[in-house]
Amino acid sequence: MNALLHIAELKTKSKNLSSLVPTAHSLLPTPLSFGWYCMTPDYAISDFNSDASNAESISNFSNVEANSTPGDAESNSVIPNPEVDSVLVYLKSNSEPTEDEANSTPSKDVESNTVADVDFTVLPLLDSTVNNNIQVQWKSESERLLLILPTESQVPPSEVSWSEIWQQMKLRLKAGDRFRLPNTPVHLVARDRLLDTRQLQELAESLNDVELQLKSVSTSRRQTAIAAVSSGYSVEQTQPESTLNLASVTAPQPLADALYLQMTVRSGLEIRHPGSVIILGDLNPGGIVVADGDILVWGRLRGIAHAGAGGNRECLIMAVQMEPTQLRIADAVARAPEKSPMQFLPEVAHITPEGIRISKASDFSRSQLSRINQEP
Amino acid sequence: MTRIIVTTSGKGGVGKTTVSANLGMTLAKMGRQVALVDADFGLRNLDLLLGLENRIVYTAVEVLARECRLEQALVKDKRQPNLVLLPAAQNRTKDAVTPDQMKLLVNALAQKYQYVLIDSPAGIEMGFKNAIAPAKEALIVTTPEIASVRDADRVVGLLEAQGIKRIHLIINRIRPAMVRANDMMSVQDVQELLAIPLIGVIPDDERVIVSTNRGEPLVLSETPSIAATAFENIARRLEGETVEFLSLDSPQDNIFTRLRRLLWTKIV
Repeated sequence: MNALLHIAELKTKSKNLSSLVPTAHSLLPTPLSFGWYCMTPDYAISDFNSDASNAESISNFSNVEANSTPGDAESNSVIPNPEVDSVLVYLKSNSEPTEDEANSTPSKDVESNTVADVDFTVLPLLDSTVNNNIQVQWKSESERLLLILPTESQVPPSEVSWSEIWQQMKLRLKAGDRFRLPNTPVHLVARDRLLDTRQLQELAESLNDVELQLKSVSTSRRQTAIAAVSSGYSVEQTQPESTLNLASVTAPQPLADALYLQMTVRSGLEIRHPGSVIILGDLNPGGIVVADGDILVWGRLRGIAHAGAGGNRECLIMAVQMEPTQLRIADAVARAPEKSPMQFLPEVAHITPEGIRISKASDFSRSQLSRINQEP
Repeated sequence: MTRIIVTTSGKGGVGKTTVSANLGMTLAKMGRQVALVDADFGLRNLDLLLGLENRIVYTAVEVLARECRLEQALVKDKRQPNLVLLPAAQNRTKDAVTPDQMKLLVNALAQKYQYVLIDSPAGIEMGFKNAIAPAKEALIVTTPEIASVRDADRVVGLLEAQGIKRIHLIINRIRPAMVRANDMMSVQDVQELLAIPLIGVIPDDERVIVSTNRGEPLVLSETPSIAATAFENIARRLEGETVEFLSLDSPQDNIFTRLRRLLWTKIV
């Protein structure tokens, strides 16, 4: 029964993938107006593609095995060993429309183990949406700053994750230094995270260093509330968010306010934000920015930028100097050409029917983009 | 006010320990009271580079276990009385100490010495966390290689998150000839990526290897070398002096190049 579910999942997934493929895969290296040759998303996207077709070929392969009876001499002589067989199926699956493939897979092959394996390999590729709550967020709300911590279901509690949260909090704090007014009260939204007095004290101390004052705490945990009260903060008890409800929320949510960071996003750092992200500084190689909205880098973009991670293909990536490791917009991926251009001008990356393209910022305009999108 | 400086890099083998040893020795020569702290528990090397291995009786772990006093563990340098080494234990791992214990040790040393230089292990795990916990400043050592620079970038991010604001860059093992031929990242390339102030550039020098193996820091050697001068310049810049960077771009001064330069200048 479990395996049956698996194959059903696999089918929908391979369908998803194949619906994804044409947009990005029908790429011909058409020269762009600008000196930078258009980024052909062949590498990464063809990965998506080959995985999908692999999935199909393998499930098909089991199909062929099941159908070939011992007396079927013809198939045996023509296709002597299963490897050649699978190669042929692979070729076939590549040449034929993918829907046929999915339809031809009989459901009685459900029990084959390979299918479950394939399912496993396909899964991580689809995990491209921003989980909005896994990072520490700062928000300003009517004369006070909100410091929102991730919930324990998103980042499991342990000493390590606390130090990660701690680092994130400090980096974000530093990146917004210029605009903060001194002595702004801070309200900590701890949600269901368990905090002890020591952690609260550390927090208050490092906030004091930048002239911010921790005033109040809202939490759904009784222990945290007690710790906060005994440290002298005013406490709001909230109802625990039920995880069951969270999982079923599928309604589209409006984008969050843009995140403005004045910092260098260095190697190993990952910025995730459920809205647009503006970075005043460089995005270094090894650094990743994932945003549900646009990404604007006022500096050198050398790392990985993923705009429209929620699936919005209208999103843009802009940089003063564009030398990315990889660009992703919604479900499309592109990598930089091997040779970097001799001189840099501000550029904009956007999705066209051929995949992700980069234009000179001065040439790029909304009208041009919409014209490109309207063409079949 | 004691300067507590950690030497770190992320990547291994770029010359953290060599830089620590030579800088410590130079500062001591300049008349400062210097304590070198080896934070590389389990893989200690600093004592080898200083040639002090056979004088170690107690280590930092014994101090923390209260088996000896801090003064007993400190190894005085035979050549330079201003320099002491607090050795790491070789028979333990990085988990043998905690960041708080490191703070305790270093703060005790800071009472008596003007400079406390901490030699960090490679990596960004426990040993690194121990090493940076007590530090107020950091020296990032990197070679002009992409892997080393990438790791340095990560480490700078971690140091910034830790709240260490004074971070300086040392580019080690640069080969001017290769840079000129465009086969090696230049100082500018590295600086552009890391975006932290440069405090020194040390050219690749075979004598560094010789001095390492002998256990005699390069700056103590009688014959002058560009690498030793570079270390001295870094020490002077740490002291607040403004020192011109060595011009490594000039080709080796032998009679032919001089002659050629002479001819060229005449012609043009």
